[in-house]
Amino acid sequence: MKFLGWKQIVLAIAGFTLIILALIVAKAIPAEALRQVIEKALTKPSGWRNILQESTPLILLGCSVFLALKVGLFNIGADGQFVIGACAAVVVALNVPGPIAIPLSILAGILGGALWAYPVGLIKAYRGGHEVITTIMLNNIAAFFTFYLVSGPIKDPTSQQPSTASISTAAELPNLYEKLPFKLNSSILFAIVCVIGLWWYLKKTVGGYEISATGENTNVARFAGINVNRIIVRTMSASGAIAGLAGALQVLAFEHRFYGNFSPGYGFDALGVALLASSNPLGILASGLLFGTISESTSVLSRTGVPKGLSYILLGVLVIVFAAYRYRKEAQSGTDS
Amino acid sequence: MELILNLLAAPGSNVVVTLLLSTLAYSSPLILGALAGLFSERSGVVNIGLEGKMLAAACATAFVGQASANPLIGLVAGIVTATIFSILHWVLTQVYKIDHIISGMGINAIALGGTSLIAKTYLDISEKEMPTFPVAIYYIAAWVAAVTVWYLLKTTRPGLRLFAVGNNPDKSRQMGLKPLVIRFQALLATGLLTGLAGALIATNAGKFSEDMTSGRGYIALAALILGGWKPWPTLAAAVAFGFFGSLQLILQGQNSSIPGQFWQALPYLITLVALAGMVGKNRAPAGLGQP
Repeated sequence: MKFLGWKQIVLAIAGFTLIILALIVAKAIPAEALRQVIEKALTKPSGWRNILQESTPLILLGCSVFLALKVGLFNIGADGQFVIGACAAVVVALNVPGPIAIPLSILAGILGGALWAYPVGLIKAYRGGHEVITTIMLNNIAAFFTFYLVSGPIKDPTSQQPSTASISTAAELPNLYEKLPFKLNSSILFAIVCVIGLWWYLKKTVGGYEISATGENTNVARFAGINVNRIIVRTMSASGAIAGLAGALQVLAFEHRFYGNFSPGYGFDALGVALLASSNPLGILASGLLFGTISESTSVLSRTGVPKGLSYILLGVLVIVFAAYRYRKEAQSGTDS
Repeated sequence: MELILNLLAAPGSNVVVTLLLSTLAYSSPLILGALAGLFSERSGVVNIGLEGKMLAAACATAFVGQASANPLIGLVAGIVTATIFSILHWVLTQVYKIDHIISGMGINAIALGGTSLIAKTYLDISEKEMPTFPVAIYYIAAWVAAVTVWYLLKTTRPGLRLFAVGNNPDKSRQMGLKPLVIRFQALLATGLLTGLAGALIATNAGKFSEDMTSGRGYIALAALILGGWKPWPTLAAAVAFGFFGSLQLILQGQNSSIPGQFWQALPYLITLVALAGMVGKNRAPAGLGQP
């Protein structure tokens, strides 16, 4: 337990206190809240259905952020890439008949996400503009742009809300297993394949090694003959492509339509998922499930009168406390940044 | 805000005057936020947590003001809340050495969650009338702050120390400066200014509502970057963004062919294009994010 310093313990206790305090502020009894979560979310088939459904986009977006982190970039923009991917997928799914719409929509989502991340890589590599700033800008532009689209050009004329029409049942991703109230959608397979693929690519291929080398020390990588700028642009686009895939699957598997303010703030959750996975891509599966569980737990609590805002506090505390452990560990192993 | 909307609706009102007034209203929180970011980032602490601090301050100002029926107590509560978050950012980035971006994101999340929790739980308080200072005081404060910041950073000893610590923490350490102390002072200033910005946003609306800063902390950050981390250009960028914001308000009522979302997205687009156009020129403080 070398990385367990007293400073880290103080922070963990402070974080825990903040969460208890938040429950008290929300006029809930912490023990009762825990009982509710166990009873209604963790031990019920419907609870697990929701957890797995919530985890699917989180695992994929976690992969997206993880990949960008490997090359040393914070992809705060997974949110925007997700939204653009989802919007592109809906447009294709609404206009292409039959089951062929599924692969084409997924492709559209991947392309949309990659396209939305491409300028981030370009500006970072060739202009030195910080990726956090450009992605925050692009997130907001994506939100306003898609809101404009669903309230005008691609709006379902019969709908009161800014929303598109629903995609046809042929374009929906089928369920793997269905025994109500439990069901499992095939989109989770994409998430699992994506995690394994990411692990394989980063650990076993030259391309993956080039990414890690660039992320660890740009100058050394440059001297070793790696085209650093190209790696940055390519990795950022790939990161966007995965986020776009997550958006497309969200539409085809669960939402079946696109509407204004589509993302419930997945961008931050995705950063948490990637950070919690630490250095191993396979950890994304576990951290994605954890974040999915938190999301479902706070949903259950919100039905008993504890506002959903609690989930943001939980995630914020979790990410900060975990980052404190992680940076202490890294400082001890002698590497900086 | 109410006042300005009425002015706009009044028949025969002068368009130029109303445009100026609403620019003033729109840009003041951005100016305060951008100056807050200037202090923090000039001392070497990346601050994407402006949004969260402004939101928390808006919430505290509204709720404490409503509960105590005293505008001064409300304003103080807002400033204190923003300062606590600012000090938390200092502790996390300087003592724990957490990455500045992760700390900022975490603070934004906690502020968003916490204020939403309070707003949804204490509905009875939020229905009370919020006692407020006249908004003009905040507008004046924003401009006074801009001049003060410029004077402080250009000509005084603490200002120059702030620059030194932000540009090269190692060298300034060798010169006998204490980056930790100077950054603490800088983040206190950040807390004060984001507190004022949040209080102004709540005052403009007359009550707190969830996520009411709606990205203005990020626009303030964009103004700071567009202004090259320098006081006057930052002020100019914040005023320009405020101008576009009020232009959108005026044009929205006139059935123009350009959608309202375009005007809302414009500050972000301009910043993006500016970042893309700066050829190999990184004007950020050199020591940004370093221990």
